[in-house]
Amino acid sequence: MALIEMQNIKKDYFLGETVVHALQGIDLQIDKGEFVAIWGPSGSGKTTLLNLIGAIDEPSTGNLAVAGKEVRSLSDNQRSELRNETIGFIFQGFNLIPVLSALENVMLPLQIKGASLGEAKAKALSRLQEVGLSEFIRHRPAKMSGGQQQRVAIARALVNDPSLVIADEPTANLDSETARMIIGLMRELNEKEATTFIFSTHDQRLLDRVKRLVRLEDGRIVDGGMKP
Amino acid sequence: MMKWTKLAIRNILRNKRRSFVTLLAIGVGFAAISLFYGYVHNMYDGLRFSAIRGEGLGNLTINKAGWQEKGKLEPEKYMFSKAETEKTIKLVTEENGVVLATPQIQVTGIVSNGITSTIFIAQGVVPRDDRTIKGAWAVFRPIKGEGLNEKKPYGVEVTQDLARYLNLASGKDGVVMTTTLSGQMNAMDMQVMGVYDSGSDATNDKYMRFTFDFAQSLLDTKMAERIVVLLDNWQKTEEVRALLLTKLTHAGIACEIKTWNELSLFYSKVRGMFDMMFLFLFSIVLVIVVMSTVNTMGMAVLERTREIGTLRALGLKRRGVSLLFAMEGGLLGLFGSFIGVVLHISVWAIIRALSPTYTPPGVSTPVPLVVDLVPQALFVLILCLIFLSLFAAIIPARRAAKQNVVDALGHV
Repeated sequence: MALIEMQNIKKDYFLGETVVHALQGIDLQIDKGEFVAIWGPSGSGKTTLLNLIGAIDEPSTGNLAVAGKEVRSLSDNQRSELRNETIGFIFQGFNLIPVLSALENVMLPLQIKGASLGEAKAKALSRLQEVGLSEFIRHRPAKMSGGQQQRVAIARALVNDPSLVIADEPTANLDSETARMIIGLMRELNEKEATTFIFSTHDQRLLDRVKRLVRLEDGRIVDGGMKP
Repeated sequence: MMKWTKLAIRNILRNKRRSFVTLLAIGVGFAAISLFYGYVHNMYDGLRFSAIRGEGLGNLTINKAGWQEKGKLEPEKYMFSKAETEKTIKLVTEENGVVLATPQIQVTGIVSNGITSTIFIAQGVVPRDDRTIKGAWAVFRPIKGEGLNEKKPYGVEVTQDLARYLNLASGKDGVVMTTTLSGQMNAMDMQVMGVYDSGSDATNDKYMRFTFDFAQSLLDTKMAERIVVLLDNWQKTEEVRALLLTKLTHAGIACEIKTWNELSLFYSKVRGMFDMMFLFLFSIVLVIVVMSTVNTMGMAVLERTREIGTLRALGLKRRGVSLLFAMEGGLLGLFGSFIGVVLHISVWAIIRALSPTYTPPGVSTPVPLVVDLVPQALFVLILCLIFLSLFAAIIPARRAAKQNVVDALGHV
């Protein structure tokens, strides 16, 4: 069974009296363990598509199933649980909680889930070690570089052992070397743990390393096959 | 729970200046209420003491049934006979908690020094019992002179302005006149045994105290108008009233029993006024606390919109976001209350050290300004302000929780 199944997904936004058709009939299937890039020009609907897959937004019409659950039929609480247990998020701006240390940030999804302090701490430490930040567990985001913050965000996205990680422009705010390191890390985790990664990007370095490219234009998939 | 509390505390400390101003507003509001309460608490204690001991009302006053309504018109019909008085006193003093029961009678008339005359209102009291009722109060309002005693039944006590007006110093003689219960004019010689301060400008030029026997003679009666009951604890007042009413009714004595606070008009009016002032002050502080907290939390929600979006994306439910902000509001109330407690204790200590005095309107002598430290009241007030701040934070908290996750994440 596919991890993500989208059938004829449409998403409209209303700006006053103007209707913006952000997605116009998306059919997409993504299996477990894939490393997929969504790319296309600005305004093509990449972020909207990721928001729908991440269950933080809902389509205007069409069917969307994540990990076998029909997103539109879920209540807000059920969607929150789905995000917490099944999906990890990596944001372009890192979106770490500034008043929490690296360790506390990574522990957050587990604590939202209701895990004990000991369990949350042990798993968070392990994930921080994997991303090479054992020395920085007590540092707050403001005291870390962009690359370090994004690695904390990756650790946070993975700490709940999600089936799916969604990354919106994960390397956009990073320098080349750091971006390369982050791409390598994501690829390694994808291969090692068979975690599905779906991300939007313009970054050619990242596009060069994906297994599958989905190209969007004007809210439609124009090329959804394997990377040529 | 601890992790969210920790997060809430760190969020409060995030904008230190804004949080400090809010905490200060809550703290000053808290101190304003608690200090006023402490002052009023002390004043009520003082007024109660003054009414029971100073005014000589005791805790309970027993009159024959109908006295309050018609006693002034037909006193003989609504006064206790000698036998009834003795029986009532015996039945009352049998009860636990009763220190004494003593007969009293009021006389109004004209007092003269032989040249000048003026009106008076006098209470006829049993001197020994009156001294027991006064108790520690005698220290606050000492009598200049020997005071009432059984050895000189025609001896009287006079309030200080009345004594000055009639030039009636202790040891001087005068005449008191009134109408007897049967309506005849009666006059008797008296000797001033003491001059005292009633504590009120309004009564210092007309109040007197007679011995009970002297008052009875002047009214030409052996009856008693009332029986005043002193208890060992004022908090038993209502309980003993109910008990005595049943007991005396069963014994065939039709009576009505009033408590000290029902009879002390001054206490009731002052209490009513200060209760209203307290409510007014509390309302103002309530508005300040609510507005400050709503403003602080509203700003916090606005500034942390993106963070709220992140927490929601990570799986925190709407209820969780609401609780986080509500907890921050509650903690603002808690910390603000702590500041308030510190302010209260500081002002309380300064007042104790300086012992300032003031003269309230209508009172003849300065009284000390005292603010009580009432731990129970402080605790209740802390709880009140926590819930108030928590309640005030609910509005912005609900707004935070209702935000669309995508919009929140895209907030700049």
